Order: sequence, then C-alpha cells, then structure tokens
Amino acid sequence: MTVTPISFDTPDLATRLDACSPEELDALDFGVIGFGPDTLVHRYNAFESEAAGLSPQRVLEQPLFTNVAPCLNNFMVAQRFEDAQDDSSVLDATLDYVLTLRMRPVKVALRLLANPGGATRYVLVQRQPR
Amino acid sequence: MSRDSAAPNEEYEALIQFLYLAPVGLVQAGIDGQIAMMNPIAAQLLMPLSRDGGLDNLFIALEGVAPELRCLADRHEQPAGKICDGLHVHLNAGGAKRGPQILSLTLLKLDASRMMAVISDITEQVRRERRLRQNEAWLNAILTGVTDYALISLDLQGRICEWNPSIGRVTGFGADIAGQPYAIFYPDDAITPEHQQDRLREADANGWALDEGRRLRADGSTFWGSALIAPLPDREPLPGDDDATPAYCLILRDIGDGRAQRERRRDAAYTDHLTGLANRRALFEAAQLELDRSRVNPRPTAVLVIDADHFKAINDRHGHPGGDAVLRHLAGILGDSFREVDLVARIGGEEFAVLLPSTGLARANTVAERLRASVAASAASFDDNRIEYAVSVGVAVASDGGASVDLLLKHADAALFTAKRAGRNRVASWPLAPQADAHQPENPDAP
Repeated sequence: MTVTPISFDTPDLATRLDACSPEELDALDFGVIGFGPDTLVHRYNAFESEAAGLSPQRVLEQPLFTNVAPCLNNFMVAQRFEDAQDDSSVLDATLDYVLTLRMRPVKVALRLLANPGGATRYVLVQRQPR
Repeated sequence: MSRDSAAPNEEYEALIQFLYLAPVGLVQAGIDGQIAMMNPIAAQLLMPLSRDGGLDNLFIALEGVAPELRCLADRHEQPAGKICDGLHVHLNAGGAKRGPQILSLTLLKLDASRMMAVISDITEQVRRERRLRQNEAWLNAILTGVTDYALISLDLQGRICEWNPSIGRVTGFGADIAGQPYAIFYPDDAITPEHQQDRLREADANGWALDEGRRLRADGSTFWGSALIAPLPDREPLPGDDDATPAYCLILRDIGDGRAQRERRRDAAYTDHLTGLANRRALFEAAQLELDRSRVNPRPTAVLVIDADHFKAINDRHGHPGGDAVLRHLAGILGDSFREVDLVARIGGEEFAVLLPSTGLARANTVAERLRASVAASAASFDDNRIEYAVSVGVAVASDGGASVDLLLKHADAALFTAKRAGRNRVASWPLAPQADAHQPENPDAP
C-alpha cells in the first residue's frame, strides 16, 4: 500500500485526519486540534500538547474558543468556522497567526479545516521558522 | 524542536492554564514595546490589529489605533508606575463588523526596561455608560439650576413665532427676531440649515431633542447653553391661520455653571493627547450621527483624510520631538481652516481627518486644496529650525446617506493613497479619476 505521508499542506486533509488513530495523530510533526460542531475538543495530539504545555485531559471535552484557545476567538478564526457552518461550505484556509504558547508569542501558520456535515473540524498549527 | 520531555509538573500546568484562561489580555514588554510574554486574550484582541501578521511589538501593533502610546511611555519620567490607566482605544466605527470596537488599555512601567499591559474589550460597558450619560443630560436639562430660561415658540420650519420678555432676559434679542430661524442663537458656522431641521425631526421622532453648546447673545457675546426642543400638540395650522403657528417649543437656558466640569470630562474622553484636536472616538461618533441624520434629511457629507508627507523622514532627521512639533503645527493649521460645525480629528500617527456636514464634492475639494496650499506655504519651527513639509489629502463624499462611516473613511483613504502615489503634496478624491487607476493598461496593444 502506497499512501503519501501526511504533512501540514496535504490536500483533502480533514478526511485523512478523520481516518487517523490517536497514535497516528501523535506521530505528526505539527499540532492537531479536532473539535465538534459544539466546539468541544475531542482530538488533541502530542505535538500540540507539548507546545502548549497542557496535557490532553485538561483540554479534551472543553469548548475550544473559550476554554482552550481563547486567542482564536475573533473574526480571523472562530468566525470563519461559524460562517462555514452557516453556509454549509467547505473551509480550507491557511493563515499566519501568533499563538501564545507558554505565554511566549510564537509565529505559526494555522490551517482551518471544516467539511459540511463532517463530525470534526480541525485547527492545525505549524511553527514558522523565525 | 527538542524539549524536556519529563511529565509536566501538575502545579506548573495549572498555573499555565490559569494564564491561558484569564479573561483579560496580559502582556509583558520591554520599555520599547518589544513583547516578551503575552496570554491568549491579548493575542485574540491584538491579532486583528496587526498589519504585518506578527505581534513582536506592542506599540507597533497598536500604532494604527493608539498612536500616542510610545510618546506617553517616553514621557513617563517616574522610575515606575502607571503610564496610562484604562485608556479607551477605538478600533473602528462599528457598523456591520462583529467583535470589539473599544479596548481599555492600562500600561504599568515596572522599571527602566520593562512594562506590563492589561487589555480588555469594553465595547458593551461603554455603550451602557453612554446611555446613562444621555439620561443624565436629560435630567440636567430638566431639573438642575432652573433660575431663568427663555421660552420660545417655533413654527414648523423652526422660525421664531414671536418675541417675549424671557427671550430678552436670556439672550438680549429684541422684538425684531420674530420670523428668524432659531439658528440666530448659534454662533456663525456652528449649525447648518440641515442641522436645524434634524433637531426638529428628532423632536418629532422622540418627543424631545436636546443639545448643549456655545450660544449667541444679541451683543455678539456667547454663553454655554442647553436647548430643549419639544413638539406642541395640535400644531397643524387651521385654514386661515398664518404661517407662524407655533409647532415646537424651544427652552433655552444659560448653564454656564456646569460647563467647566462637563467640558473637562468630555475633553479627556474625546481629545487627542498631543494635538488637542478631537480623537478617533469623537470622529467616529460625530460621523455616525451625521450619516444617521442624513438618511432622514438627505444631504451630502464629506470626509477629508490628511496625511503628513514623508513623516518618517522628518522623524529620522529631527527625532520624535521634531515630528511632534510638525504634528502640532499641522493641527494648528487644521484647527484654523474649518467651520465650527466641522470636526477636525487626529486618527492615526500622522493621519488626520475632517468631517464636513452638508458639504458636496466640489466644495470639499476646494477646502482640501486650500488646506494643502496653506500647509505648503508655511513651516513648523523646532529647535531654531524651520521644518518645511507638505500634506496629501484624500476626499470622499457620502451623498445618499447609505454609506457607513467605515466605507466613507475607506474611500477617503483610497483617495489619499492615490494622492500619495501621484507624487504627494496633492489632493485626490473618491471616486478615483480613470487616469489615476490606469497605471497599468491591461492590453496596451489592443486596436
């Protein structure tokens, strides 16, 4: 079986991530946060956990935009997911952002993924070389 | 990225999460604004303001909306203490855009090299306070210090129906004012004919209309007055009545006593620290009110956006104090160039704007050109140097009342950009002239 390895910019990535086991997500070299239509986080991989300094049990089943990553709660990120949900449209957008990992401002690229009807939306986080 | 992979200490993790979830923005920065640490709410509030996609420097992140910060920090001479406390920072004029419109910012200097900032979204809080203030103005008008007042009846057009002794006592005007518009109580340029009509329409819609400001006596002296206009019942003229049937009652009071206190309060919230002109908040509120009114009573509204040319070079050559001298000089010219009814504001580092009620494109272009020429013909003085400089001006007009404040400013900004690109020291207006846009013909060889 020849399947291309998953990277931050793999096309149709939401479908690929849906099929990944937790162990496979943990092996990725970028952060993965998966959350449901109710914004509760239900996937959180090792890379993101390590970068943020939070173990998964502090994050899982918590609302993403208020209790996990309030820095994303603005029109640049949270609104994009709401708009995609309202329009039943596909969201696949990459943008430059600054996260505050362990209170240090860190330049990252975010990839926002949502498929209409999909059970899981994703915020993917890749560190940018400074 | 290699990190110590030991299991995170439980207590440390709880502390980290406490900071992640704190519902205010916290930033620690160098005294030059360079950001060392920040929590997520700070990034949530500041990221939409960042022009370069990064958050390296607090002053740069806030430069477009609070240009005075660096200057405030520079001027703070004590070794430690608050540089500003709950400063209101206005982000945009509101309208359709969701999200914060007003931030509160507190800067605390820790020592010679570090400071901390607390940032929070106070949009809703300010809205509530504004409603309370309006109620307060209403109660002031009715209840406080009623020593004397002029009671004046107005006809449907706002003309004074007849003289009575109370008008004489408060304003000194005599019987010949019957038939004059009530604007006679306002200083020259302080009210337009459209504004007079607006107040009457507001009284119709709300049951009353209230305003406060400088008013004129017959001898040319002024006083601080409160004017309340209320519609009268049964005011439709009957057949055979003359035109001067009373339709409104105007109560005009000299409230000089409370003026100083009210002005100070207004000054702090609506004035730009460096220049003494109005600030962004004052401009946004005035423009919103003017556009709202122009939907009811249609007339054009013009905005000029003015930018000092090559300002960075001036700063580089003469230092920030030299740049400040230029800004104050420009503010002085702006303050002297417009009508009392116009509003002149500083809205960014070297960017100013003027709101011109009841003004069409031709007249707006004329005053913009006059302003440009008078800046070009003078110079700021600083440390025995004359600093000559010029301005570019963008002009935009909302003619149908349908534009938002943000759109009007955006159009004026686009015109300003055109003026800059065309070589600076000039005026351009929206909509942009075709030749200004045709910098790159798509198909120059087409027949």
